[in-house]
Amino acid sequence: MAVESTLSWLQDLRLPTEIRESLWMFPTIETVHVFALVLVVGSIMTVDLRLLGFTNRDRPFSELAAEMLPWTWLAFSFAAIAGLLMFSSKALIYYGNIPFRLKMCCLLFAGINMLLFHWVGVRHLHIWDKARPPWSAKLAGGASLVLWTAIVAAGRWIGFTT
Amino acid sequence: MSVAFQSANWFVPLVQTVHIIAIGILLTAVYVLSFRLVGLTQRGQTLAALAVRSTPWVWAALCVLLLTGVLLTITEPARELLNWAFRVKMLLVAALAIILMLLQLSLRRDPQYWSSSPARRRSARALGILCIVAGASIVTAGRWIAYV
Repeated sequence: MAVESTLSWLQDLRLPTEIRESLWMFPTIETVHVFALVLVVGSIMTVDLRLLGFTNRDRPFSELAAEMLPWTWLAFSFAAIAGLLMFSSKALIYYGNIPFRLKMCCLLFAGINMLLFHWVGVRHLHIWDKARPPWSAKLAGGASLVLWTAIVAAGRWIGFTT
Repeated sequence: MSVAFQSANWFVPLVQTVHIIAIGILLTAVYVLSFRLVGLTQRGQTLAALAVRSTPWVWAALCVLLLTGVLLTITEPARELLNWAFRVKMLLVAALAIILMLLQLSLRRDPQYWSSSPARRRSARALGILCIVAGASIVTAGRWIAYV
């Protein structure tokens, strides 16, 4: 199949092969991945909890989001690059791994949830920026909390099934 | 207990998931504070307000981390206790907790404490850098427990 042959081409490239055969490269890349992802999850959850109205209620949502989200994206780019490198080293194994597929699905849903929030959820932001968010914003915050928890759980589960 | 925890194959990943999310909350709180101490971020609220706001989250996360960490250690005592990466991690966690407590106590007593003189501003910057390095080292040591 086209996917399998592409993945086997990918994992036979020089860098993926080196990562696979080296004793220290995979754990080092994984450390970068974990360090970056804890900051992604922590900073996103800070924003989610504000959306749910649990924390930082006295601060405008826009101020908190502007403060946190650039760091979230910086950390996410590190996590994604490290993740891609790990994936490339054993692409066929990860491709067939159920927790890996679950994790990718949850990441996709988290992305869609974020886009929906940015397109629709912030439409009346000026009204609730300094107050309790409406139900649509709470829903986005709650969904994000659940999805990111699932992403961490599925990610950890990959390590026990590959 | 060790045998019971090991025989349930969902137990370790589940506890590790809770552990990782708690690290996320702790490290985010620590880094928001540290970046402010170092002077990388200036916006919004005062250092003292930040410290007060994050204090309950820092200690709640540390409690969850201690609890889940103990569960993981009970499950595989030899993997953890005989491991030098584990020992380094524990020392770093203790050091970070002490620095955080010092910062919180000093700011509660005097909100201007770390900005009241050039020497204190320098110390604040040093403490911030120390927290940033400690946080990254704790995660690194934690991950390498599985490999050394």
